[in-house]
Amino acid sequence: MSETKESILKIKNLVIHYETDEEVVEAVNNISLDIGKGEVLGLVGETGAGKTTTALGIMGLLPDKVGHVVQGNIFLEGEDLLRKSNREMQKIRGKKISMIFQDPMTALNPVKTVGDQIAEVVLLHNHCSKAEALTRAQEMLAMVGIVPERYRDYPHQFSGGMKQRIVIAIALACEPDLLIADEPTTALDVTIQAQILDMMRKLQREHGTSMILITHDLGVVAEICDHCAVMYAGEIVEYGTLEQVFDRPKHPYTRALYQSIPSLDKDVERLHVIPGLVPDPSNLPPYCSFCERCGEKKGVCSKYDTSIVEVEPGHLAKCLMYSPSWKEAE
Amino acid sequence: MAKYVIKRLLLLIPILLGVSAIIFVLKTLTPGDPARQILGNDATEEQISAKREELGLNDPVIVQYVRYVGNIVTRGDFGTSYRTNEPVLSEIIPRLWTSAKITLGAVAIGAILGILLGILSALRKYTWVDSLVLVISMFFQSVPEFVVGLVLITVFAVKLHILPAAGIDTPLGYIMPMLCIGLSSVASYTRITRSSMLEVLSEDYIRTARAKGQTEKNITYHHALRNAMIPVAQSIGTSLGNSIGGGMVLETVFSVPGVGKYIVDSINQRNYPSVLGGALVIAIVLTVINLLVDLSFILIDPRLKSTIISGGASKPKKAKVAEA
Repeated sequence: MSETKESILKIKNLVIHYETDEEVVEAVNNISLDIGKGEVLGLVGETGAGKTTTALGIMGLLPDKVGHVVQGNIFLEGEDLLRKSNREMQKIRGKKISMIFQDPMTALNPVKTVGDQIAEVVLLHNHCSKAEALTRAQEMLAMVGIVPERYRDYPHQFSGGMKQRIVIAIALACEPDLLIADEPTTALDVTIQAQILDMMRKLQREHGTSMILITHDLGVVAEICDHCAVMYAGEIVEYGTLEQVFDRPKHPYTRALYQSIPSLDKDVERLHVIPGLVPDPSNLPPYCSFCERCGEKKGVCSKYDTSIVEVEPGHLAKCLMYSPSWKEAE
Repeated sequence: MAKYVIKRLLLLIPILLGVSAIIFVLKTLTPGDPARQILGNDATEEQISAKREELGLNDPVIVQYVRYVGNIVTRGDFGTSYRTNEPVLSEIIPRLWTSAKITLGAVAIGAILGILLGILSALRKYTWVDSLVLVISMFFQSVPEFVVGLVLITVFAVKLHILPAAGIDTPLGYIMPMLCIGLSSVASYTRITRSSMLEVLSEDYIRTARAKGQTEKNITYHHALRNAMIPVAQSIGTSLGNSIGGGMVLETVFSVPGVGKYIVDSINQRNYPSVLGGALVIAIVLTVINLLVDLSFILIDPRLKSTIISGGASKPKKAKVAEA
């Protein structure tokens, strides 16, 4: 990672576990990330890779009693969020960091008007009157392309795409420094997906907001991200600029992901699949967690694990093929 | 909206026809002669048959039934009590009012206590507070109402002399019946509130509220409570209706002249016009209360408004009607 950029969020060696009476689920394993001001980072991975857990960890919204940050730091502009009290975090959430959740159908309170729900976040973080907050709510509605007069309507009177616009309006109402969007378009149909992404990109550029976009759709990443981090079994296996990760993928998992994307011009019988399943996060192997499914593995892969290393300036990958033991095996 | 209300009120017609028909059939199947009941054992056969003729008891049942329904529809006449010769309706109305006052008080006690305890146990789930609330509320639910009634009478009337043992001559007389019915319903409100709160608190929109930086207190009372109240309101509606007409046992224990006791007494006296009238009035009250409760849901849940205003194809049962 280049040291020159001004970073907004720095995650260091973050480990998050879900602990129940029966088992410990190692959801996030020792990840480090650095997000620059105004940067859009795509966090890609399969279901269960730990993307949402990472986001909830940043927000301090891990499920009560079950989710624990075991170790690590999360610095927002130099301040460690993990050392903040709940009261201090309430001042940060919605104001400095906002989050957009996956399913807009359930993300809004059904018994409150959308205007009230946008105004709520404005009132929480600004010293203003209810009337001023409602005016701001109407401005926000207009900004996300909804007729401002509809602020008196209830969520059920809007379509799915419009609900997601409202959720985005809530997230951006206090002009946060960092926006975490957790699969914001997964629950929407394809035509609406494009509209929402365009709008998010536009708003992000206009306000210079930094953004973490969580998705399992590589196309979405290609469209709007500057950087890309690929997660697998709770670890970041590859990180770099969009160009680095897309044009010169270094990790076998990333390469396999690209092979799985259906091509418009090639006529194939079957799509490429990655054999096997994601390892059980409550029982991770002591060696490379992708080893069982890897097409490029060698004997050493089922013996050791490795840490993420820089393979070219600013481009990191976590694979034994970039470690000295790989050459010894040859 | 008006269309919906009219539609619901029209439903009263088949309900009332059904209720009255069942009681008419029961009346013909029950042994005993109302004419003899009225005139006593000393009456002669001639007197009795004259009385039967006067009451129209010699006509076929179907003719009696049509005449009865006709009188209600044309004159609002629910018949005359055999015992007092007073119109049934004028006997029922004050008794209904008495029952209604006790029921309202009881439901208020039960619902307020139940909702508060339910919120408390939801917020402190799986702790000793939660268990304690469960034990207390289950205790009052599992002990029969009349036992609680007798205990209350023993303690407050016989030992402490604070409250009257029976009757409603003073307003204090209302307290024990209200407490008795109210306490027995606390458990069900507590459990409905608890499970409904827990369900709502795990909803995505609660997480959205947390992500806005909202405080836990406001999340509980502004975001969760109103959503959680929907099933509770439904339950309140049902028990309002049930206890107005169903307070027979307690009205007997506390000697309260309510509509439940009136019907029981009338059955014992074979005073059929009173039984019929009482049952029909209760059916009307129940239906109207149910309608009012359903309308009140609009205030709680805006999603139902569109369903109801658009004609209300079916009675909205669940909150998630509009959200598919």
